[in-house]
Amino acid sequence: MFEEASEVFDNMFKSSFPLTFIVFIPAVLILVSPLPAEAAHEFTVYRMQQYDLQGQPYGTRNAILNTEARTVEAEVLSRRCVIMRLVDFSYERYQKALRQSAGAVVIILPKNMSTMPQDIVQQFMELEPEMLATETIVPVYFALEDDELLSIYTQTLTSSSSQGSSSAAEVLIHTATANGFQMVTSGAQSKAVSDWAITSLEGRLAGTGGEDLPTIVLVAHYDSFGVAPWLSYGADSNGSGVSMLLELARLFSRLYTYKRTHAGYNLLFFVSGGGKFNYQGTKRWLEDNLDHTDSSLLQDNVAFVLCLDTLGNGDSLHLHVSKPPKEGTAQYALLKELETVASNQYPEVKFSMVHKKINLADDTLAWEHERFGIRRLPAFTLSHLNSHREVQRSSIMDVRSVKLSRNTKLIAESLARVIYNLTEKGAPGDLQIFTEQMMQEEQLSSVVDWLTAQPRAAQLVDKDSSVVSTLEYHLGRYLKDVRRHYVKADKRDPEFVFYDQLKQTMNAYRVKPAIFDLLLAFCIAAYLGVIYLSIQVCIDTTSTYGNIFASALIMQTHFFLCHGIREIQTYDLLFSVHGIRALRNQDGTSCSFLCI
Amino acid sequence: MLGLAHNQSFECAGREDASKLVGEFASVGLPGNMTLFHFGNCFALAYFPYFITYKCSGLSEYNAFWRCVQAGATYLFVQLCKMLFLATFFPTWEGGAGVYDFVGEFMKATVDLADLLGLHLVMSRNAGKGEYKIMVAAMGWSTAELVMSRCIPLWVGARGIEFDWKYIQMSFDSNISLVHYIAMAAVVWMFTRYDLPKSFRLPVTVLLGLCVYKAFLMELFVHVFLLGSWTALLVKAVLTGSISLCSLFLFVTLVHSN
Repeated sequence: MFEEASEVFDNMFKSSFPLTFIVFIPAVLILVSPLPAEAAHEFTVYRMQQYDLQGQPYGTRNAILNTEARTVEAEVLSRRCVIMRLVDFSYERYQKALRQSAGAVVIILPKNMSTMPQDIVQQFMELEPEMLATETIVPVYFALEDDELLSIYTQTLTSSSSQGSSSAAEVLIHTATANGFQMVTSGAQSKAVSDWAITSLEGRLAGTGGEDLPTIVLVAHYDSFGVAPWLSYGADSNGSGVSMLLELARLFSRLYTYKRTHAGYNLLFFVSGGGKFNYQGTKRWLEDNLDHTDSSLLQDNVAFVLCLDTLGNGDSLHLHVSKPPKEGTAQYALLKELETVASNQYPEVKFSMVHKKINLADDTLAWEHERFGIRRLPAFTLSHLNSHREVQRSSIMDVRSVKLSRNTKLIAESLARVIYNLTEKGAPGDLQIFTEQMMQEEQLSSVVDWLTAQPRAAQLVDKDSSVVSTLEYHLGRYLKDVRRHYVKADKRDPEFVFYDQLKQTMNAYRVKPAIFDLLLAFCIAAYLGVIYLSIQVCIDTTSTYGNIFASALIMQTHFFLCHGIREIQTYDLLFSVHGIRALRNQDGTSCSFLCI
Repeated sequence: MLGLAHNQSFECAGREDASKLVGEFASVGLPGNMTLFHFGNCFALAYFPYFITYKCSGLSEYNAFWRCVQAGATYLFVQLCKMLFLATFFPTWEGGAGVYDFVGEFMKATVDLADLLGLHLVMSRNAGKGEYKIMVAAMGWSTAELVMSRCIPLWVGARGIEFDWKYIQMSFDSNISLVHYIAMAAVVWMFTRYDLPKSFRLPVTVLLGLCVYKAFLMELFVHVFLLGSWTALLVKAVLTGSISLCSLFLFVTLVHSN
């Protein structure tokens, strides 16, 4: 057959040259074409943080993944991708996977975090900083759960947990029927992002009545932090701070429009970036304003700097200071006003001052006011959290902020009392300066909703980002001289380094183990053998007994068709080696057949 | 005695290790080159019956390879004409997604009568005994169908990382098609015989109709009874088997009655 084939191809080549092109070029093109990938399931995964802060690396170092999936119950985890669900997640399991040198870890989070019970959420929030503190070589990814991913997980779970227990035969049957999954990411290896500019925004409201007016600075950082940058929405920390700052800007800009309520304080609002990375935005802004310019509001008379950090939940308020304020200063006045307003108008709020000295030996600063404190500006931070180490400040589970409007009212009242010097003028403690119509709760909640609609990790917000431009526009509606301020890491000794490849598309391919192909080849060989033998047997029987077989068929058919179905009578069959000569049926008529 | 006990304990340990080893081997992930093995499996399953049939039917003695290629070229031409005809005269079905357009699909299946014409054309151009004509036409036709409609999906799909049972099913389907085309060629040959007895006319016509509308009937079954893919394959095999047995029956009767 191959000789004939070669003859045919020779003819084809000699006779019609274009025909060969038409036949062969598509064949060649198809042969060398790359394989299109058709996956069982394609889903987006979000990588754990990867950054360097002051030279210290944090988080996972790797992004590429092309391994088979397993769950923690499996015996062999090395070089496999370990899949875990949030409900089953625990630090011991995570450590077990890392100890056995797993290839990757994928943690499946439920689509709706609010359906999770509170203790699991709390446990995960506490584990987040621990996961980040240990530098991991393996890539750690987070995925949001959907139906196919859940089915992949359950299938992997059944195959992983049945691995160690059964006999060899059961294992063979199991490999033939079950599905394995190969997880492959589509991106490249992660590299450091060069020239990343962290943007900060400032705006001011000028006071009235003279040249050298005291300045009150209100600061809030707008970026968020979590174990995965693309999943850190930061509703409370620090979406609440930013929206409160915008609301205060709006209120005081309305008051400053009218001559009667135009106070004698300059108000400087600063929305800083890079806050979760040791307050980079604030640090550079201070350097620029104090060291590199001749005159700035910060250099002259600063009454105090109030940093707003995490004010969305809880029933307590803490004023964190690095030095307790002295009597007679504006700082002390604000402290007293806060106490007054809280005790008179909002008795459910527990207000206290927390004194913590600046510790320069720590890796990172505690609160934002410490940046100002280092430059000898009087500053404090207001927060509902007791300590800067609380896990709610840097968690991906931070998605709600419910007490924001009440806290905003409280702080607005206190600030107004300080600015307008109301206590000295004899205003009682329960005087409400801002009426219900002035405080726009819907605007406040819509700002928070807008802020939490996108992840605001510092690695994701660049200077063209919509977050920055919308904030700039918003500030521009109420404040004057709204300016941007950029921070880039130093080239030689960078304070912060960000890495890319934080969001990937992962494909899960259904695979069968190698032994399955061998089994299949064996079965196919058996099937082909059976076919070959049956064809041979058929041909042999038809050649030797075919005549008899055929004649029997013919006789029956002829009888069937000639005489109808009514009577099928029995008749004698005479077989001979040479063939059937004649047959007799019962009523004597004989049909003669061809001698074969 | 001690040595025997020692050997036995090794044996027990060995069996556990062996099962663990099998488990480990069985669970080893599929490296990229093994998927070519899967493609080889599917291709062997699809193509070898054709090879076996070619060899065992004695066609190689008659230098029938070039004639089979010509039959394949006729197949290509007929498919092209059918596609042009369908594209011109049958608009796309605008109805709902779940409704099965019985009449439209029936009309489309009627266009498959062109297959019969094509087979008749091939067989009329070949001189020789009935069996020779039928086998040449059927082998060329079904091999062309194998290459055109199954090789490319197998090459593109079975080589990928993703495993799917549909490639094995496709290869089985090509085996069934081989039997189907042999039966179809035999029925077409019988239909065009001038010396066909009158009593044979009806069964041959019925078989002819069944051959042409077999695909339509299969789709109907799958749609109405919501058959799974393996069940549909089984039903197709049974249907083709019964058609081919009937046509073999009639063919043998016809050939040996002359």
